[in-house]
Amino acid sequence: MENKKTILIIEDERSLREALRDKLTREGFSTLEAKNGEEGLDVALREHPELILLDIVMPVMDGMTMLKQLRENAWGKNVKIIILTNLSDIEKIADSVKNEVYDYLVKTDWKLEDVVTKVRERLGE
Amino acid sequence: MTSQTPETFYKSIFENMTDGLAYCQMIFDAQKNPVDWIYIKVNKNFEKLTGLKNAKGKKVSKLIPGISASNPELFKIYGQVSLTGKPERFETYVAPLSRWFLVSVFSPQKNFFVALFQNITDRKQIEKNLEDARIAAVNVLDDLFVEKSKVETAKAKEEAILMSIGDGLITTDEKGNTIFINKAAEKLLGIKNEEISGKSFFESTTIENEEGVAVPLEKRPIHMALATGTTTTTTTTTTTTGPTYYYVRKDKTKFPAAITVTPVILSGKVIGAIGVFHDITKEREIDHAKSEFVSLASHQLRTPLTAIGWYVEMLQSGDAGVLNDKQNKYLSEIYTGNKRMVELVNALLNVSRIELGTFVVEPEPTDVVLLARSVVDEQKSQIEAKKLKLSEKYAKDLPLFNADPKLLRMVFQNLLSNAVKYTPKGGAIEFALWMVKGGESVDVQKADEDSIAVKVTDAGYGIPKKQQNQIFTKFFRADNVRKKDTEGTGLGLYIVKAIIDHSGSKIWFESVENKGAIFYVTLPLSGMKKKEGAKALI
Repeated sequence: MENKKTILIIEDERSLREALRDKLTREGFSTLEAKNGEEGLDVALREHPELILLDIVMPVMDGMTMLKQLRENAWGKNVKIIILTNLSDIEKIADSVKNEVYDYLVKTDWKLEDVVTKVRERLGE
Repeated sequence: MTSQTPETFYKSIFENMTDGLAYCQMIFDAQKNPVDWIYIKVNKNFEKLTGLKNAKGKKVSKLIPGISASNPELFKIYGQVSLTGKPERFETYVAPLSRWFLVSVFSPQKNFFVALFQNITDRKQIEKNLEDARIAAVNVLDDLFVEKSKVETAKAKEEAILMSIGDGLITTDEKGNTIFINKAAEKLLGIKNEEISGKSFFESTTIENEEGVAVPLEKRPIHMALATGTTTTTTTTTTTTGPTYYYVRKDKTKFPAAITVTPVILSGKVIGAIGVFHDITKEREIDHAKSEFVSLASHQLRTPLTAIGWYVEMLQSGDAGVLNDKQNKYLSEIYTGNKRMVELVNALLNVSRIELGTFVVEPEPTDVVLLARSVVDEQKSQIEAKKLKLSEKYAKDLPLFNADPKLLRMVFQNLLSNAVKYTPKGGAIEFALWMVKGGESVDVQKADEDSIAVKVTDAGYGIPKKQQNQIFTKFFRADNVRKKDTEGTGLGLYIVKAIIDHSGSKIWFESVENKGAIFYVTLPLSGMKKKEGAKALI
């Protein structure tokens, strides 16, 4: 238990969020959930997860806005992030994070298994 | 001369003078009206000028029958001169002789007269010609006046038309000074024709770009048209690329405008420009709604598809317990169906982006062989499942070239997946890449410039001859494959063609039904042109 890495899943779609939660939990991660950017920012700054899975299009606060605010925080500046997208959002991402390199994955095209692989990769496992 | 007697001297004058001369006796009737005259003496030139021979001793009524009817004035004048002795000089036309004469007449003694005359028919002809010319000139002038008033009417009409045309209209001279703006332009720009005409259009109006920055002079459409002598068009809607310009009104409000400026060229010189523009706020709203729909659809349609995919995956991998064979089989059906839905949604979104013209082309140095290999890898499982014999023939040392890898990947994916899909089990397919020089032949075509040639060969059902011209049409599926395979969307080759058309490449094919098809693509080494757009293809 003590070595479990924590992943924050910020995703507005309950079914997708829960699928990610179930899979990651099964793969031995500890998970946190948030259903919009505002909530996600809150949880992230409080819990300091090792990695954040971030959806882009969300109500209340979208992923890009949340990311900008997160990067202004001393801890948030360096936290690892994988962006979940529907690809049509890719240009928005490119616009907002011109100077940063992110992993992003297209939900429709990626199997959960691939998501897990990507997560492990980012965590350096 | 000096030895001559006065008689011979006068006779010589008489005979040699250039004028015609006739010495006549006037004959009066009982009422003293002049009715005839007798030629007593005529000189040589009389005969020559009148054409009358042997006149001497004859009455004029005999010599020129009809003269009393044609020239009654002669009788009157000669009679008067003969009686009064007062000389006369006049011009007259003698119809029976068809000649004009200038006549001087005097009376040497009562009842006699001498008529000296010159044939002035030629002069009269010239005068007549002159008169005709004058009349013609007057007629032309009259016509001109008529035409002028017609032109004026037409001009007034045209002005009225230009004035009331629904689009804004600007005309300028070659320096960009405003000649005229119409009512619509006045209304749209919030400026009066009187205020602006004669002044530089550039100084009188402001155009801003999307960011609200004033467009510099050299980028102003009118300036560009004047400078280049070619028609300049700004974006008409968001679906077309190119800058979107906003006209700023006097009151600082602004509106997006579709502007087309055509240079006015006279004898090869640009003498001015005509700009037509209209407010495209509405069009942009509609376009925006369309883009929104596409974006919304892409998000909304895919979210449930992702959920289905992920949950099926978890069930299949036993996350919720071990499944029996039947359950596994059913799940794999669900998974396949879901995958098809994902592909269909992607294809539809691509089509709508193609049609909206909003997809981006982002060329970067691309290794085509690497790209081809990865596309083949993706489809390895299907190829193996159908036991297809794939031969990959990639030329060595193909250069990197500027292509959008995502777009090129789609071209390769579609061509290869078609070959895989439509070739029966155990069949052979080929994927080849090689270099061609400009002018060299690739199959039946010639490469326009140095290019990479792509060839995808299958041993499939082929395309029926009579449907070959429809193969790149949206939603088209050939009859023969429609019967055998119900899965295709009819969008793959349509998308491929759109990408090819947007990237300066060429695509064609050869096919015999039931033998297979060969698709060829030539990709010019000069590369794809960068195109900014709202959306990338998926």
